[in-house]
Amino acid sequence: MNILVKISLLLTAFLVLSPASASTAAMPLAKLDIANDKESIQRGFEVYYNNCRFCHQLKYIKYQYLPDIGFDKAKVDALRGSQLINASLQSTMSEAAANEVFGAIPPDLSLMAKARKQGPRYIYTLLTAYYEKSDGGYDNKLMPGIKMPDPFGYSVANENSKVAIEAEAKDVVAFLNWAADPHADERKSLGIYVITYLIILSFLLYVIMKRVWRRLPPPVSEQL
Amino acid sequence: MKKITQWIDRRFPMTAFVKKELSEYPTPRNLSAWWNFGSLSGVVLVIQIITGIFLAMHYKPDAMQAFASVEHIMRDVNYGWLIRFMHSTGASAFFALIFIHMARTLYYGSYRAPRELMWWSGQVLLLMLMATAFMGYLLPWGQMSYWGAQVITSLFGAAPFIGEEIVIWLRGDFTVGDATLNRFFALHYLFPFLIVGLVMIHLVALHMVRSSNPSGINLADKDNIPFHPYFTVKDLFGLSVFLLIYAFFVFYSPNLFIEPDNYIPANPLQTPAHIVPEWYFLPFYAILRAVPDLVGGVIAMGVSVMIFAAMPYLDRSKIPGGARYRPIYRVLFYLFVVNVLVLGYVGAKPPEGWLVPLGQVATVIYFSIFVFLPYISKKEEIWLRAKGLPSVVEELICAEEEEKGKRSQRKNRGKE
Repeated sequence: MNILVKISLLLTAFLVLSPASASTAAMPLAKLDIANDKESIQRGFEVYYNNCRFCHQLKYIKYQYLPDIGFDKAKVDALRGSQLINASLQSTMSEAAANEVFGAIPPDLSLMAKARKQGPRYIYTLLTAYYEKSDGGYDNKLMPGIKMPDPFGYSVANENSKVAIEAEAKDVVAFLNWAADPHADERKSLGIYVITYLIILSFLLYVIMKRVWRRLPPPVSEQL
Repeated sequence: MKKITQWIDRRFPMTAFVKKELSEYPTPRNLSAWWNFGSLSGVVLVIQIITGIFLAMHYKPDAMQAFASVEHIMRDVNYGWLIRFMHSTGASAFFALIFIHMARTLYYGSYRAPRELMWWSGQVLLLMLMATAFMGYLLPWGQMSYWGAQVITSLFGAAPFIGEEIVIWLRGDFTVGDATLNRFFALHYLFPFLIVGLVMIHLVALHMVRSSNPSGINLADKDNIPFHPYFTVKDLFGLSVFLLIYAFFVFYSPNLFIEPDNYIPANPLQTPAHIVPEWYFLPFYAILRAVPDLVGGVIAMGVSVMIFAAMPYLDRSKIPGGARYRPIYRVLFYLFVVNVLVLGYVGAKPPEGWLVPLGQVATVIYFSIFVFLPYISKKEEIWLRAKGLPSVVEELICAEEEEKGKRSQRKNRGKE
């Protein structure tokens, strides 16, 4: 038992220490409750569709997934127009054109919420880290020298519109968080059943084990 | 039913085999929970093979399609996300179990005669597991997959004279590319079956020498109990508890073991700021980096993995029961475990500031424990025997010495 305790302490210490690997971010990430309700995700989709989509594609999101976030068939058909239902969400600007205008290829956003440490918080912080420089231009505190123009005009917004932009950023984070792992809800709800089953099974096996071992006569060797 | 069994038994020793090696196989009754990890590793091997075969049905080992095909599995394939997360979490679980299995062997001195072949076949299994995991990690074709493979294959360039040729031969190209991905996929599919074969050998050896036990003393015959039902039910309970922990990670924290960078497709033109291997390689990676010279680092890393094989010779103490009756060995064991965790921590971080000397000190400690073990273990034995050991243990040592003496006498007589 003594050893068990020691080893588990060591392992806990290791697990606590290891994810704390150095982040090179220039500023700490904002605290954020990631919304997971259909309304936020839908609003986030609209934000993506009317802003981000001009440069950023969602290569791994197909129109056929959109009913999962609560859009009906008519809405999905309207969105996809003449594209196939299994087509992915393309940006309206070609990569080459974007590269010419902004000097970088805008990254695909399908996995962005997983492709950064603390992805959702990272995205939210990035979107709300724009500020106005003294010479009138803008920059980003999280990613200085960012090539992406301030998408919501956060750097020049007044206090009231900042609150509205923050709400929009939260919604788009909710949507991108869904996009990075569309089966997360299914996974978590299935997990409850699996884990409940295993808890019951472990308990029963423990009882059976104790019962079986009770049959055993006492040991012969004295050192046991 | 009985007739069928009889028919088979006349042609194949089915009943006899099951009786001898399974149901009535004599097992020490005092095995603790630490003896569960061998069978658990076996189960995880099976999980990995089954999930791996289903993943291979949808995966495409092509540099242009690999990343997208993994996303296809995650999004479009029915329960593909579950199979994939079981496989990726299973890899970590496998190493966790194997490390505990090894730590148990080290703690209780189970590697000692007559179990050297078990220990060495286990050592080869560890190497094969590492190779399989390393090749499997390339397959998602993310940034960390790609650069990890790039770094590790380049280490073979440290070989004298033909280093560069070996690297090209391994990669099948001048850099990690489509050819590398294809061959890693082929070998990643092959190796698990070789591992199954070697596991069989590991088990045959086990059934020859039988399980060690926490007392380190061969028990009276009566204290060996039949495997079934006592250990079948114990192993099943252990399995159930393991699956509970495993399921928790699969369903609630599957991305804990996947670097965020690996959700970015491999890009040969952009090196990630900080290349880290999977957590199970971190201590060895830290040793690699602790040596300033590349060739020296590669040798140190190789030795750090292989040195376990020498344990039956490095540990010269005759006292049975591993750390149980040996306070100094016990201290060394815990020092080793803590030191490996420190190395893992250093390996996870960029080599900057105080972490560099820390990694070097930990590397020196790592090897010092092995180097000084022959001396320490002998001194410890002499000290403990002078102090007085429990009578059972002392008798056992004397009996063993006597046996040894007789054997060498017989040998000498044979020479005359």
